[in-house]
Amino acid sequence: MKTKTTNYHFNSGIKLESGESLSAFDLVVETYGELNADKSNAVLVCHAFSGSHNAAGELNNDGKLGWWDEIVGPGKAIDTNKFFVVSPNNLGSCFGSTGPTSICPQTKEIYGKDFPDISVLDWVNSQEMLLNKLGISSWACVLGGSLGGMQALQWAITYPDKIKRAGIIAAAAKASSQNIALNEVGRESIRKDMNFYEGDYLKKDSFPKSGLKAARMLAHITYLSEDNMNKRFGRKMQDAESKVDESVDYQVENYLQYKGEKFSETFDANTYILMTKAMDGFDPAKEFNNKLEEALKKVKAKLLIIGFKTDWLFPPERGKEIQLAAMRSEISSSYLELDGKQGHDSFLFKSKRYEDNIKAFLSS
Amino acid sequence: MNNPITNIITKWIEDNSRVIDFGCGDGSLLTELRDKKNILGYGIEIDPNGINECLKNNISVIEKDIDDGIDEFVDCNFDVAVMASSIQCLKEPNIALKKILNLSNKCIVTIPNLGYWRCRLALLLGRMPVTPSLPSSWYGTENIHLCTIKDFEDLCKEEDFIIEENMHLNKKRQVSSLAKLMPNLLSCEGVYLLARK
Repeated sequence: MKTKTTNYHFNSGIKLESGESLSAFDLVVETYGELNADKSNAVLVCHAFSGSHNAAGELNNDGKLGWWDEIVGPGKAIDTNKFFVVSPNNLGSCFGSTGPTSICPQTKEIYGKDFPDISVLDWVNSQEMLLNKLGISSWACVLGGSLGGMQALQWAITYPDKIKRAGIIAAAAKASSQNIALNEVGRESIRKDMNFYEGDYLKKDSFPKSGLKAARMLAHITYLSEDNMNKRFGRKMQDAESKVDESVDYQVENYLQYKGEKFSETFDANTYILMTKAMDGFDPAKEFNNKLEEALKKVKAKLLIIGFKTDWLFPPERGKEIQLAAMRSEISSSYLELDGKQGHDSFLFKSKRYEDNIKAFLSS
Repeated sequence: MNNPITNIITKWIEDNSRVIDFGCGDGSLLTELRDKKNILGYGIEIDPNGINECLKNNISVIEKDIDDGIDEFVDCNFDVAVMASSIQCLKEPNIALKKILNLSNKCIVTIPNLGYWRCRLALLLGRMPVTPSLPSSWYGTENIHLCTIKDFEDLCKEEDFIIEENMHLNKKRQVSSLAKLMPNLLSCEGVYLLARK
């Protein structure tokens, strides 16, 4: 698979939904496969909350595969032998694109808490600038899971002429009260970490690691299904030798401790707050009298909406709502409800049906 | 496409209609209607293979068990709903028909006729009938609410459904003037276009 990592600099800047703007910004982008002669095979994959531009293959030769490696690659659901797959790291993230850990060109200091709020629409707008920079007139498909699915939906609404298909997977047209509540617990644990310094921790050479770790541990539970956790960990006790912490009794505790620890070593706390805020604020129907069908009226893309039965973070009903609204607005749209064992995270894992369905949708 | 039922349905549906097909299978009817009548179609299907074929054929498909209810489609304002060879598989076909005619102006249904003389003969000889419109053995069938043409037309009267069009097919599933003569005895299958009063 031909893989390329490129840093795109946008010196024209971007005006953000919040009213603020960035005078310039960078997007780091991985691409897989090759653009065809008539530039009709470009597929944008949008990452969820903690993802990066590394969707497929290994980024650092560290054995760690991209977040959608089961789905993106040669012969896979999104076949890089057929499609030119574009995977940017989102604005405000912490894996190379401009975000809270970047240096502000005006102050020459790390943005930290001064980095502006970013919305799903801002991501889509920045990705549209990327599309122009690549010299492509429209995406054959934009797809993603979770927060990535929200971007795909926003794409279909905001740029109807620049997207042929949208794959909206394990997503919702807006965050529920429960989604916001869970995010707020995560944010609170970061904010109340004594090393947070109101978000200016990097300037103080500090990092709210324990707060970020606790936030991730809670969030991680919401990505899994109860059944899958029971099967995987049950009430099994952790061996004394392999405990990450003395206080750990059960395997599931050890697992969460380990996952939270790893995450807090590589992720940025301000980015965590920014990403959860973007998810909470997503609501494209808001400016259409809260009628999603009105928001979808101008959509030209065909929509494929997929929900997973074991997902309780964005349960299948949330996807069904999008499809129903699309149908009321006479938009071509399909809705699938897949089994998926892994709860919300099911969108990351390959299954025969999932692969067949995405392939069929992309080939139609 | 040579499927006579598809031909009949295609004749009854007007150009540019909004069509919902309950139990759309691989989407072949909707594909035909899209290509010939430029309809906007949505299929409802539960079989994963059918669903994947729909996606391949660029047909909008919704994964759903119709027995779980179809209330969510009520304000979708379809012109025509199609229920070909599945009404007798539903838990409450009379209620389903009423609901379908709430979400759509018209409804097309096909009814395998248990009054067909071959069915009567089979029963007379002490056997469960197996005909082209009732092809499965008694233990393999999904049909739980079989009826005769007369029964079905009685139901339409009771529920105030207007029968705008009907066609009666012989065992080759062709429109037959003989079957039309005495549909309850001589037709293997009936196709109806219903409307609300």
